Amino acid sequence: MNDFLIGAAQVLAPTTLIMMFFGSFAGIIAAAIPGFTVTMAIVLTLPLTFTMEPLQGISLMLSVYVGGYTGGLISAALLGIPGTPSSVATTFDAFPMARKGEPGRALSLGVWASFFGTVISTIVLIFAAPPLAIFAVKLGPWEYFALIVFALTIVASLVGHSLQRGLIAAMIGLAISTVGTDPMMGRPRFDMGFEMLAAGLPFLVVLIGIFAISQLASEVEDVNAIKTGEKLVTGDVEFKTWAVMREVLMRPVNLVRSSLIGVAIGALPGAGGSIANLVAYDQAKRASDTPEAFGTGTPDGVIASEAGNSATAGGGLIPLIALGIPGSAVDAILMASLMVHGISVGPRLIMDNGDLVYGMFIAMAVSSLMMLFICIVSMRAFLRVAEVPKWVVVPIVLVCCVVGSFALNNRVSDLYLLGFIGLFGYALKSLDYPLAPLVLGVILGPIAETNLRRALMTDSDWNLFFTRPVSLMFLIAAALSVAWAVRGILKSRNDQKISKEPV
Amino acid sequence: MPDNKQRQESGDVARLLSYVALLAVSAGLFLEARTIPTSRFEVLGAGAFPILVHGTLIALLLGAIVGSVRKLPTQAYGRFFSHIGQWALSRRLVFVVFGCLAVYLFAMPVIGYPIATFAFLAVLQITFAPKTRKAIAIALVLSVIFSFGLNWLFAEVFNVFLPRGR
Repeated sequence: MNDFLIGAAQVLAPTTLIMMFFGSFAGIIAAAIPGFTVTMAIVLTLPLTFTMEPLQGISLMLSVYVGGYTGGLISAALLGIPGTPSSVATTFDAFPMARKGEPGRALSLGVWASFFGTVISTIVLIFAAPPLAIFAVKLGPWEYFALIVFALTIVASLVGHSLQRGLIAAMIGLAISTVGTDPMMGRPRFDMGFEMLAAGLPFLVVLIGIFAISQLASEVEDVNAIKTGEKLVTGDVEFKTWAVMREVLMRPVNLVRSSLIGVAIGALPGAGGSIANLVAYDQAKRASDTPEAFGTGTPDGVIASEAGNSATAGGGLIPLIALGIPGSAVDAILMASLMVHGISVGPRLIMDNGDLVYGMFIAMAVSSLMMLFICIVSMRAFLRVAEVPKWVVVPIVLVCCVVGSFALNNRVSDLYLLGFIGLFGYALKSLDYPLAPLVLGVILGPIAETNLRRALMTDSDWNLFFTRPVSLMFLIAAALSVAWAVRGILKSRNDQKISKEPV
Repeated sequence: MPDNKQRQESGDVARLLSYVALLAVSAGLFLEARTIPTSRFEVLGAGAFPILVHGTLIALLLGAIVGSVRKLPTQAYGRFFSHIGQWALSRRLVFVVFGCLAVYLFAMPVIGYPIATFAFLAVLQITFAPKTRKAIAIALVLSVIFSFGLNWLFAEVFNVFLPRGR
């Protein structure tokens, strides 16, 4: 209790709160710009924390972290471009909802879902950190590979009009992930002698090229509309704060399920928000009575994706706090900021620095409240983006994408890759290939390959994938998921046949 | 609506061509993956996963090609070439965007971020904007802010230096 009060006193000090306020704001803005990620915002914040007290510094970084997970939804809803990799699934329903004339509702749903997702993940973090962390790190490469096989079955929910093209797109994504140095032995693959391909295709550049460039190019397809100053989104720019809060709370099962998926995936080292939002969306669609409404602007889709990605913030802290193992790049930076202050991060963290750990829990809760406050107060200003004509937005967002791609590695060759991938993405979009399975393939490819090869390096027996209980559980879940998808496709074909038959 | 059906068929021909192009690339990479030597330290080598991926992709593409060829009438191939011209004309601004983006990306390392971005934004915005003095003035002001202004912000505040040119 004493540690809790000491931690609370430090986090709730006026100077810390002011810094957290600016941190939340900066996180939201950074993530709202396509091409800039939460990780980049945290990296830029790190040097500022060197002169602060450890808890003050970590509170500032947590506020950027929580704000960043929410900010990605702004460009996802208003531009149809995921602001960060963790808001890919948000574009599926928030963007159609905004296009239908409800941009305020789309944003508000996302903000409230993010808030409740963060709160739920903080509660889980407080009560379940040690047992969950021990479970997460006991998973071997067999279990990780089986988990990725299960995650790949999400493709069935993301295929759009054609299962065949969805599967082809997912395979293209996996193929893209094999370009460059092999993840186990460092052997060069498929670089064709080009230096820019030797390091592989950076995930963020692929994401921006595939989603952002292709979406921006689609915005100028209608020559007359753009020349007359058409806006990106037209309609009600009301945020409808309290009505939407009730709407989110009226879907408790979706909210809690998506948040728990986010926590669980966040707790797995190497996974994170970029996978959690897609898995949460997929599970919400499967559990829904109206799965056909997903992708057309249903609130359940927005809630699932945003609660799922925001909950990974708390989930990622579970192995960090309980075992000193960072679950993602952002958690590694948080860990570095503690180590700069001479704090040893490991299983003894909670015993030796109880005030710091309790302070982090409080900082998470305070950050989510600040994010909510900032969004409610300033969302009207963000919604003004929707009123800017396309002829202004398209070129400026293109420049933001270029700057974000360059700032990632300070490599000019990434700019050329961005151009090529953007053109490829536009071609695929024009040919009605779904883009989300491709991005899923790029995310999951390296994790799948690394764990498959690592498992067989440890023991060449393939049977271990089926005899280890957790691995078997994931593989059975994958098989059930495929069976469910096939059943859904057969059912929709039968429905189409019946509706075509003359009455 | 026969016109709609014909357009749909032209789209299917375009998709068929994309399957063939992807098949050619995937088959090439499949063969290259087979030449990647295996390591003595592991059961699977660096080429195993790409072989698995491209093998599956090739099977999917062959299935898609067979399905498309069986579905499409012979006349659809002839109509495709007349429709492609109309399609390109209706999307001329998309080609302007990609053309400007290509010039911008290749010019940036040579002339530097601020000048390249200013020119890119000014040209693209003025091309798209309604031809009024106010719109052109807004376009020029925004071009300055997002070229020279953003360059200053990154250099002075974030210590990230955007390309400065040769």
